[in-house]
Amino acid sequence: MLEYLVSAEFYQIMLFYVYSFILLGAAMAVVTMRNSIYSALFLILSFFSAAALWLLLEAEFLALTLVLVYVGAVMVLFLFVIMMLDIKVKPNKGMSSYTKVGLFVALLMLVEMMMLLGKKLIPALPQDDLVKHIKGHSNVKEVAESLYTQYVLPFELASVILLVAIVAAILLTLRKRKDYNHVKPESQVHVKATNNRMRVVKMEAEKGNDIGGDS
Amino acid sequence: MNSILGWSELTPILPELIILATACIVLVLGLFTSSEKGGLLVLTSIVGVVFAAITTAKFHMGDHELTRQVLFNGNFVRDYMGDILKIAVYAVMLFVFIYSKQYLRDKNIFKGEFFALMLFGMLGIMIMISGYNYITLYLGLELLALSSYALVAYDRDNMQSNESAMKYFILGAIASGMLLYGMSMIYGAVGTLQIDHVALQVSNTNNTMLLSFGLVFIMVGVAFKLGAAPFHMWVPDVYQGAPTATTLFISSAPKIAAFAFAIRLLAQSLEGLFDNWQHIISVIAMLSIIIGNLFALQQDNIKRLFAYSTISHIGFMLLGFVGGIDGYAASMFYIITYALMSVAGFGMIIILSCKGFEAEKISDFKGLNQRNAWFAFMMLLIVASMAGFPPLIGFFSKLVVLKAIVDQGYYVMAGIAVVFAVIGSFYYLKIIKVMYFDESESDQEITAGFDVKSILSFNALLQLGLLLFIPSILSYCIKAIETL
Amino acid sequence: MSLVHYLILAGILFVISIAGIFINRRNVLILLMSIELMLLAVNINFIAFSSYLNDVQGQVFVFFILTVAAAEAAIGLAILVVIFRKRKSLEIDKLSELKG
Repeated sequence: MLEYLVSAEFYQIMLFYVYSFILLGAAMAVVTMRNSIYSALFLILSFFSAAALWLLLEAEFLALTLVLVYVGAVMVLFLFVIMMLDIKVKPNKGMSSYTKVGLFVALLMLVEMMMLLGKKLIPALPQDDLVKHIKGHSNVKEVAESLYTQYVLPFELASVILLVAIVAAILLTLRKRKDYNHVKPESQVHVKATNNRMRVVKMEAEKGNDIGGDS
Repeated sequence: MNSILGWSELTPILPELIILATACIVLVLGLFTSSEKGGLLVLTSIVGVVFAAITTAKFHMGDHELTRQVLFNGNFVRDYMGDILKIAVYAVMLFVFIYSKQYLRDKNIFKGEFFALMLFGMLGIMIMISGYNYITLYLGLELLALSSYALVAYDRDNMQSNESAMKYFILGAIASGMLLYGMSMIYGAVGTLQIDHVALQVSNTNNTMLLSFGLVFIMVGVAFKLGAAPFHMWVPDVYQGAPTATTLFISSAPKIAAFAFAIRLLAQSLEGLFDNWQHIISVIAMLSIIIGNLFALQQDNIKRLFAYSTISHIGFMLLGFVGGIDGYAASMFYIITYALMSVAGFGMIIILSCKGFEAEKISDFKGLNQRNAWFAFMMLLIVASMAGFPPLIGFFSKLVVLKAIVDQGYYVMAGIAVVFAVIGSFYYLKIIKVMYFDESESDQEITAGFDVKSILSFNALLQLGLLLFIPSILSYCIKAIETL
Repeated sequence: MSLVHYLILAGILFVISIAGIFINRRNVLILLMSIELMLLAVNINFIAFSSYLNDVQGQVFVFFILTVAAAEAAIGLAILVVIFRKRKSLEIDKLSELKG
């Protein structure tokens, strides 16, 4: 018994359950929090736990990518938008009808899917452990080999998708500020000394008697 | 297997490369052209599309017209169906570019990015047509979807445009999620992502539970993307809210792509599950025809009306999927003719709109016959073709689909489809009545240039002109499906 | 750990995200986050199958899903910012210009 408790298998099973519970708990928190900032932070937590689970599955490259790209870039973008928009948190007014329907649908789906998985799928799938690679196996190399040979066309397409995202985001949000008084160098250069720079104004001479007159 | 790509691999994707290059050129040119001189951008786009069309057509001059070329390690396929559909997409896109230029000028929202995004979306369409791997298909789908989201939100000062973009985005993202969940199940069951390998494995594997579990999610995703009932909620809102130039785009060419996507996923890779998905498809098709036609009756906004009419047209297209090989060919014929019809319909809305005025109410068409008899006649042709009145092309495309399913013995479904098509023709008749028998409320002149007018006339006359080519187009479609 | 554990985990996560989409009528931002969760569930599925089949294609698919999801998040947030500037609100129920 004690031997089992210190074995690598037990440790892995324990890790799986710990990370799974954190992941599901964080996911629940994401969808139920009122405040968007808490939601975003819990989403980061769920990404971290998912990355840990992927490490258990020996998908090291993707686990690292998830942390770097998702937590590092996408979630920062989310937080940035939340901070930029001044969102007012409304007090909790109890469950709306949508919430009730939503929870009902979700529960129904969960029960249905679990019934399906439990009754039909699980017996059809092997219960043995997942494949374990030998020591020294490089997941990054494996993914890279596939990515740059077999999937080179999708890889290039992904770059086009990112370009579209850049163009679209700029197109939608870029605004020229109306109150921004910037200097136009090209019109400054074209100013002519005789016509534009100096203006001779003719004025009637002021009457001199009110200078210091009333005191 | 894992070869480094060479020139021989690049020739068949030359059309895609040309469209990509055009998109990038238009994107850069857009920075340096003022909105008054936007004609250059449209011209560049058109030249790019024409070049792509020439390269696609050139494949048919050679001797490998009917041979299927699987390239890039099974990520891309050039086959007869793909070529025919792409040529249809080029034709539709040429109309889209010309009409949308008119609209953007009138509304004073002309920007180079609009055309660049449309070209990127078009690239996505072409990838969806030619993808031969779940990954490639998914990326093509997302390329199209992301460009469409941006195009719907394009008129950013317009509240309706923003709102419809948000709805479109959320529902589109959910649909992608569903689709991917289904794909992951299929992948788990068969262990591969390439279409022909999946097809092979599906017939061998005995893990049917996992497969049908995945199939349901894939069907939901595809139905969402097609805008078929009961997943059609986004269609009316997006059609109405988007700038008309965008509606013009998303109602035409992407439908062809969605057809190809459904063919690749369902008919090609999951052919072994035909008995399973056939029932789901028939339910979706019937619901779409019923809901589309019934809801269209109560609309007074013509963009919204066309949206519901799209739903019923998509239903008809899906009906063909029930009928096996002949049915696929009939669906292909249907979707090509529908795209040409839809682009003409929205072109008409654009041409009747002008500065500061959007002709989107049915009442805006009142007395069109007195104002401009020629365009009233053009609108008559388009609307009658959509309704499926003989002798226009819309009648024959419906006929072909119905014949295909009646041949398979689905009399009840064909009967219901006919009944609801007849019910649906009421709202088309309403438009015709308003145009010819009501008094005009305004004396708005049609301000569009001669080029746009003549091209729209050509497009509308195609509803008659295509009649001459029905046998040849139909034989192309049959050949395309046979050589899949 | 066997494949089934991971499939059930992904299934529950998928359902939570769907529920999140239904529940959050007040805040579009959390809706966008629910969509991210949904894609995370899909990714867990793919990686579990990839490990079970000892086939790297599933992991490559996940790589592309991550890329697309990042692009999607950027566009979604851009649309959201545009809407917020116009209305000063993120409630979906208030998005009701289009009806019929």
